[in-house]
Amino acid sequence: MKKLFTFLTMLVVSFPLSAQSFYSETGTAKFTSSVPLHNFTGTSESLVGMIKLDDMSVDFYIDLETLDTGNAKRDKDMLITLETDKHPFAEFFGEITSDFDPESSSEQPVTVKGDFTIHGGTKEVEIDGTITKTEGGLLVKADWILNLEDYDIEPPRLLIVKVDEEQAIEIEVLLKPVEEG
Amino acid sequence: MKSILLSAFILFFGLESLSAQMQRTRAVQDGPVDELFLIGSVAGMSTVTNLEANNMNSLIMHNFGLVSGGLEDFYGLDQGAAVRLGIDYGVTDKLSIGIGRTSVEDNVDLRFKYTVLRQLKSDKVPVEVAVKGDIGVTTQKNNRGFEDFTFSERLNYFGSVMIARQFNGKFTLQVAPMVSHFNTVVIDVVGQPEPEHTHFGVGFAGRIKLGVRNSLTFEYLPVLGERTEGTKNHFALGYEIETGGHVFQMFFMAGQWFTEQHLLARNTNDFFAGDFRLGFNVNRIFSLGKK
Repeated sequence: MKKLFTFLTMLVVSFPLSAQSFYSETGTAKFTSSVPLHNFTGTSESLVGMIKLDDMSVDFYIDLETLDTGNAKRDKDMLITLETDKHPFAEFFGEITSDFDPESSSEQPVTVKGDFTIHGGTKEVEIDGTITKTEGGLLVKADWILNLEDYDIEPPRLLIVKVDEEQAIEIEVLLKPVEEG
Repeated sequence: MKSILLSAFILFFGLESLSAQMQRTRAVQDGPVDELFLIGSVAGMSTVTNLEANNMNSLIMHNFGLVSGGLEDFYGLDQGAAVRLGIDYGVTDKLSIGIGRTSVEDNVDLRFKYTVLRQLKSDKVPVEVAVKGDIGVTTQKNNRGFEDFTFSERLNYFGSVMIARQFNGKFTLQVAPMVSHFNTVVIDVVGQPEPEHTHFGVGFAGRIKLGVRNSLTFEYLPVLGERTEGTKNHFALGYEIETGGHVFQMFFMAGQWFTEQHLLARNTNDFFAGDFRLGFNVNRIFSLGKK
């Protein structure tokens, strides 16, 4: 029984210690919107992300009010459209579903699957990206197309010109190892 | 042994829950109060609201003749418009510079606005403060005898300190001590006393938010102390609406000008006696690059 107890204790205690987690709150998120004859980009340096290799979970979120398009009027329009007073975050929670070798230091294509939530709407999505293990941690890059209608977001109009429903999203973040236990 | 197993499992699954979602926390805890006013001016009076760096506001400001002209004058529209075309540019988030030309007396003016303080959401800074300077030159050749004047004699100046506060996110009030100076003053009517070169005043501007994109506004520029005979305190009452980078402002205003030195010293209409005109401004903000 002593052996069993020791085994269970080791299992419980060592589990989180061996589970490597990577975290950052200074990632970059960028979206590009198209209106006829013109594109504009909104950027934030406040993307928060965590990847846990023990269960391959992926958890990202961003405070939408940190997005800056370089034009205060446009920022305001964006926040009104996204109703950030009610839904301040865009977030993804899911897991890595493709093969991933935590020991490899080469850039690895990965697929994550999970729930993306914005404007109070949630949709299951599958996103392709890359993870590169570096000395500083995990460098994560991904891009995908977000369709505003999927989340019940009415594309804003700039006078009579309507912003395209499809928004190109890019993220890049270096997740640093987290000491747990 | 059962209890050991049970506690082990509780511990195990308890720790397992660590892989649940992170707690979401807001990144922006404090910061400047946004948009005490929708844009940098009400009708003719400037507000503390400044442009962001690398943003440009192109604005068309116009008003017509006095509404009191009645139907015969189509409520002032037959009088033609006084127009100021202008461009302002945000050099930094605190400093903007601008140039404009007014069709009345062909006055060309250069101006700047510098933000000294921003009101903070936390109220650690309770007011927003900005200073403004404007220098104009009357370029018209054959009106009021201007062709005989030198360049420096044609100059006019304005300076103000604007102090504003937004209350409850709904109402903004601005108080602005101001001074105007004209290098040359003209006696328009024979027998008129010598006009004043310098006028002091305190401007008041206000905004009541009706929604996220529209508001009611007013501006009032009472002269303090000596004034040129016949000069009345300028007043304007307006409605403004914002849509996709444009701010449209419609108003009734007493003064004919969109430069405050003239509104303070050269307005001869009394709004409350029914002497006001219809006017509207169109503001369009362009982003010329990243900050």
